[in-house]
Amino acid sequence: MLLGIDVGGTFTDAVVVDGGRVISHAKIPTTHGRLLECIAQAIDRSLSELDVKDITRVALSTTIVTNAIVEKKIAKVGLVVIPGPGVEIENLVPLPPVVVSGYTDHRGREVAEILEREILAAGKQLRDCETFAISGKFANRNPQQELQAAAWLKRETGSQHITVGSQLTGALNFWRRTNSAYYNAAVWPCFRDFSQAVEAALKQRNIHAPVYILKADGGTMPLAAAQNLPVEAIFTGPAASVFGVMTMACPKIPAVSLDIGGTTTDIALWQNGLPLFAKQGIAIDGYPTSIRALRLRSVGIGGDSHVRLVNGELKIGPEREGPAMALGGKVPTVSDAFIVAGLVDFGERRLAEQGMASLGSSKVEETAAWIIDQAAQQIVQAIEGIIAEWSAEPVYRVEDIVHHAPFTPQLLVGVGGAASGLVPAVAKRMGVAYELPVGGAVVNAVGAAVARPTLEVSLRADTAAGDYTVAECGVKAALSKSRFTMSDAQELSRHYLLGRAEQAGIAADDMEVVQQEEFNVVRGFSTVGKIMSCQLQIKPGVLTTIAGFSKEEWQ
Amino acid sequence: MKKQLGLVFFPAFDWAISSTHPERQERLLYTRDQIVEEGLLDLPAIKEYKPRLAEYADVNRVHIGIPDIAALITDAHLVSAGGAITAAQAVMNKEVERAFALVRPPGHHAMRMVHGTRGFCTINIEAIMVEHLRQHYGINKVAIVDTDVHHGDGTQDIFYHDPNTLFISFHQDGRTLYPGTGFIEEMGSPNALGTTMNIPLPPGTGDQGLHTVLDELILPVLNDFKPDIIINSAGQDNHYSDPLANMAITAQGYARMADKLKADIAVLEGGYSIEDALPYVNVGIILAMAGISYKKVVEPDIHKCPSQSKATTEYIQTMVTKWQDIWRRRDVLAKQAKLDAGDFWHRKRSIYYDDSGISEYQKESIRLCSHCSGYYTVETEADRPGAGLQTAFAAVIPRAACPSCKAAGKDAVAAAKRQGHHKYYFLQDKQQDYLEKL
Ligand SMILES: [Zn+2]
Ligand SMILES: [Zn+2]
Repeated sequence: MLLGIDVGGTFTDAVVVDGGRVISHAKIPTTHGRLLECIAQAIDRSLSELDVKDITRVALSTTIVTNAIVEKKIAKVGLVVIPGPGVEIENLVPLPPVVVSGYTDHRGREVAEILEREILAAGKQLRDCETFAISGKFANRNPQQELQAAAWLKRETGSQHITVGSQLTGALNFWRRTNSAYYNAAVWPCFRDFSQAVEAALKQRNIHAPVYILKADGGTMPLAAAQNLPVEAIFTGPAASVFGVMTMACPKIPAVSLDIGGTTTDIALWQNGLPLFAKQGIAIDGYPTSIRALRLRSVGIGGDSHVRLVNGELKIGPEREGPAMALGGKVPTVSDAFIVAGLVDFGERRLAEQGMASLGSSKVEETAAWIIDQAAQQIVQAIEGIIAEWSAEPVYRVEDIVHHAPFTPQLLVGVGGAASGLVPAVAKRMGVAYELPVGGAVVNAVGAAVARPTLEVSLRADTAAGDYTVAECGVKAALSKSRFTMSDAQELSRHYLLGRAEQAGIAADDMEVVQQEEFNVVRGFSTVGKIMSCQLQIKPGVLTTIAGFSKEEWQ
Repeated sequence: MKKQLGLVFFPAFDWAISSTHPERQERLLYTRDQIVEEGLLDLPAIKEYKPRLAEYADVNRVHIGIPDIAALITDAHLVSAGGAITAAQAVMNKEVERAFALVRPPGHHAMRMVHGTRGFCTINIEAIMVEHLRQHYGINKVAIVDTDVHHGDGTQDIFYHDPNTLFISFHQDGRTLYPGTGFIEEMGSPNALGTTMNIPLPPGTGDQGLHTVLDELILPVLNDFKPDIIINSAGQDNHYSDPLANMAITAQGYARMADKLKADIAVLEGGYSIEDALPYVNVGIILAMAGISYKKVVEPDIHKCPSQSKATTEYIQTMVTKWQDIWRRRDVLAKQAKLDAGDFWHRKRSIYYDDSGISEYQKESIRLCSHCSGYYTVETEADRPGAGLQTAFAAVIPRAACPSCKAAGKDAVAAAKRQGHHKYYFLQDKQQDYLEKL
């Protein structure tokens, strides 16, 4: 039995998945400021008729990290950077960093040393900080300076946590790694308190199954691993929804999924049975980070979107002015149009009709159809926008420019409270088929319940220099073979990924190469070596597909 | 909001002339690493663009390929030229203040007639971009400042008879470096005299010499010429670490130059110190063009940069003075050149395609018309390995041709065809925007 919990802005859902079915669920209003309360209630409610001993895994998608940043309940962080020459980073990061000497170049060679006295002085200067973050340019190509600086800083400050930039990701982008390291250190204490409370609450209920936390890219990580990488648990709601779609509908053909809620519609693109990932990490508070996420676009249209006429033109959303008139609201909403159009049935139809009539015409069905069509049009525009953005993304090979296949969706999958009202209209406009999987209303909790753990390593081997680096593992070592090939690089990556997975307590059965590159190193006119990089990951996906719900009320 | 800099970055990671040729897959690998690591593509002042593919019509507006251009180029060339056009469009459409096409393969050694590849170049991506702008955006006066260490002989050739294109090239002296041209005396044909400006610099020229030339000659000349648009052929092989040349410019020297030049569009040309120079020079240029501080962009091995000798400083000063004088007297010189030449100006040249191993012989004649810049004809002959002797006769009608030159150009190619001494006959009519194979 898998227990999935999703803490949303309004509701906290819990579901229990067993044998490919959702066998239990609970919906509790989210208790802001006291998240543990609604989590505990949702667990208790969903497990009320079940035996906790049967729970094999608990997975949580929570707003704890997002909220900590929004509400500024974050630690005072000492940020130390090793930028070397280049862009002046001081004003680009969330707070003024302490800049220290040292430089590693683009091939991971140490060009200038770091100085112990500078690091110790930085520690003294930052002594009132709760946690630290350290980030060096090209530390992903050679983490030694970062690791050494962290060790000195730890000795000087005795800090309980120091985030090291290169351990968050092996990808290039010093600016993003620095921002990620800062936010990771900033949310560290808050997440530690939260995870301890969750552990205690589960223990109290005799639940001893391993606990996983959802990440922004839809993978999960064990709670223990999450304690070192809490920033990965930011913005998980949309990812939970997308993985819920994967388990309930899993579109194998090019598809678009829509999660249509009260005020927004989240759009994701699908290819080969997987959602597309964003090329760049997410931005936090306007600061770009290296935190991987899904390729999503949000548009301000949902069931509760306020509908009105402005100079004869129909305006829908993005704001909500209360519930549908059918439920006693004061202004007409998109949901009122659904009711009048006969697409959904709740509340008082008479009041919904009054809402339509208030928009100037006595032909209420026509008005409702007009609203639905306009809302669908705005969603279609946003879908076209995200596809255009995908297609305009730079590529660096001739082959990829010349043979660029356009993304042509053939299917629309809709989840969320207002999906049944809008998805048929959107699909009609796009000329594609649509699906409304059963259980779309608790899709996020289902997604959390079934999302598989993911993990990655980035190996870079330089046969001319005779060494290799695995940033996430803090490794820089000599190559043991003189003839090292791309398949050796893959094998070595696999070795490190297995080690990392074992340490985290994750099954590493389904690995895939995310990206690889191979270039010659030429001196004069002869090839003296190769530079190879290989990014390997445990494939994102779901533990089980969901065939249905055992309770009939789920629609 | 309008961004400061549009960046078309296209390293063509799957294209090379050959695997150990300087123009090979990893030429911009370390530059990519540096740009991405510095976070430049994420800066709010910078917008990255995906290059479009140039069309053959864009290429044929500039070049005459023998037997046709499609037989001589690869898709990579169309992406590179397309990248330059994408950069220019971003500026013309006012999406960005200026743009940098950091693309390969390069183009500034490609001349109007193309038999193969020379100096790593097959088609001239700046010239293709310039003519695209003239055709689609009504641009007229253009200044091209070629800051590659090699003389931009291809660009010079294409615009040699065009008084509306000011081509300025500074480079290591042709007596010491490929392609062996680019002397002061090459100033443009009589109707365009002075709109080709060559500034040969002695080996060992450093930032100081470069900025003397820039401050005292290039910037004032640009100011006089008043172009609608300034293009920088931004080769980076003047760097002290470049393996193909002997100059002593630093990343700071390049960045300060980009800052002063304020080119509307820069296009990468050469630069083969792919590990030690390009990552830093490109970061410097990008920051300068984006209006961001580049003061901390310094090569790790800057101590290896030689200092400029006193003799070099004096030589440069003398040449700058000489050019200032020529520039002042350019109208008088042009008048005299026309008087000396009569109705037509002729030249004969041999052109070597080092990458293709082809020697070309060319005869050019341009009519010194008093109503327009004059039509011209080119006779070419080259022995191409595997294809045998390729001969062609072409007439080029300039965009602003007078009716008489237009008719005479067409007549000239028709007459040549009747005589039948050549294998191919071309009419490049820039007024009607077509290239015709007769
Ligand atoms: Zn060059
Ligand atoms: Zn004329």
